[in-house]
Amino acid sequence: MSKKIYEKVDKLPKGGLTVMALNSLDKFVPGQWENLVGFDHTIKQVTGETDEAMVQAIAERAIALFNDKSQGYQRALWMYESVDSASGLLGAAAMANRIGQDTFLGFLKNISPKPEKAQTVDLVVKLVTEVVAFCHINGIPGDSLGDFLSALGDYGGESLMRMAALVSFDGVIPLGADFSGKALNLIKGMGPSDLDNNPTFKGVKEEIPGGNAKGKLSFMTESFESTKGWMDKFVSDKGITQSNVVDNLSGFVEGSKSKLDYLGAFLDVSVKYYEHTGVQTLARRLIERSVAEL
Amino acid sequence: MQLARSLKRLVPLVLILVITLTACSSASSKYDQVQDDTTGSTAPAAVDKTAKKGGTFNQFFPEAAGDYAVVPSQEKQGFAEYKLKRDGETVAMLSINDTISLPAAAAKYENATTMVAGFPSVVQGSTATGLLVNDRYQVKVLSRDASFTEADRAAWLEKFDLQGLAQLEADTKAFRKAQKTAAPAIRITPPNSEPETVPTLVPQPAG
Repeated sequence: MSKKIYEKVDKLPKGGLTVMALNSLDKFVPGQWENLVGFDHTIKQVTGETDEAMVQAIAERAIALFNDKSQGYQRALWMYESVDSASGLLGAAAMANRIGQDTFLGFLKNISPKPEKAQTVDLVVKLVTEVVAFCHINGIPGDSLGDFLSALGDYGGESLMRMAALVSFDGVIPLGADFSGKALNLIKGMGPSDLDNNPTFKGVKEEIPGGNAKGKLSFMTESFESTKGWMDKFVSDKGITQSNVVDNLSGFVEGSKSKLDYLGAFLDVSVKYYEHTGVQTLARRLIERSVAEL
Repeated sequence: MQLARSLKRLVPLVLILVITLTACSSASSKYDQVQDDTTGSTAPAAVDKTAKKGGTFNQFFPEAAGDYAVVPSQEKQGFAEYKLKRDGETVAMLSINDTISLPAAAAKYENATTMVAGFPSVVQGSTATGLLVNDRYQVKVLSRDASFTEADRAAWLEKFDLQGLAQLEADTKAFRKAQKTAAPAIRITPPNSEPETVPTLVPQPAG
């Protein structure tokens, strides 16, 4: 059965771990993210329109656009959902690996990827998902590469919050402050088999450009390398450190300070920030297009 | 015996629960009809396959001027949109779309009483002003900030290269056919339009 975009937006959680985790990042991107829930409410907030008939017309055109598979919106939604649920599996694997290191059940190491390597793939796949989903939703706006980059660089609202969460929860917490350099070194040392064993990669690999695992790995490495500067600047501009991200989270994840690898795995399993903010981005862009086309 | 009696009492409760849950899960929405109309194998495409590529429109958008920056936002089949920013804040959206996908959008200009730069213009809702070029290409400015007034919208509409846009073909055969057969509502293309196509691997321009 086809997914209903209005239902997805209506049923976004107003509270819970995902929303609390995202709110904990407000300190770094103050006022950027409001948890918009409800399709009609989102239309009114995005467009400023209050006329009910107009709101309904905007909604109906947005639904029609979403349901037209050739427009790419359904693929973007699928990617946002898949990368979250697949990385949840990674969290479970990381937990198992931690058990393997702490106990005599060392053999568990053989069936679970090393956390840092797995976290790196997770981080890079999520970043590539962002780029690919961006293209599905927005096309490639403008006439030049510079135009495209300025569109990407113009992130705000829930999209910027998603990037803040990516950098904090999938970068700084599991890999440390120099996460981008560490991740780049690790990914450069990887081969196709490292990807094939990774649940996050497997979750969305059909959508990653490249003919085979080797080609996909090279696309991922290049994408990460070209956005590394942006991520480093973001972290230093916003003052994001491992300890202040954890401090902000410790309000609702007790005892997390001394167990950072557990915290990373815990966030993987319980926080669906890609799907949550991805649905919000998708809704916003559909609504912006709809109201302009009517 | 005792167990059987308990079960007997439980059955009606369970039934009530099941009925309630079923009712909840199938809660209707005012959008269910449009959902049904736009899904399934016979559903019409939302975007006509003969609509101009979004990239065609880029050249007609205004340039950045003074305190204003013009930032690319979306480029899809039959549609291109830019943000108009002042001091980093989005104050308006600028767009061009091909109404071949949505004839009702063009039809609203038939009774237009205002002209902007020689083209029929209407104010739509509380935040939008549009005009129509060649009976086909809609140019819109949509306020996103209260400080950006209706007069600002009209002024920015004039900054588009409207004469350039008017050079694009207007009344194609496909356009006339679509105008004739489409219902004046959200649903656009004839039901016998070609099967939906799925884009190949990204990144590639969707427009």
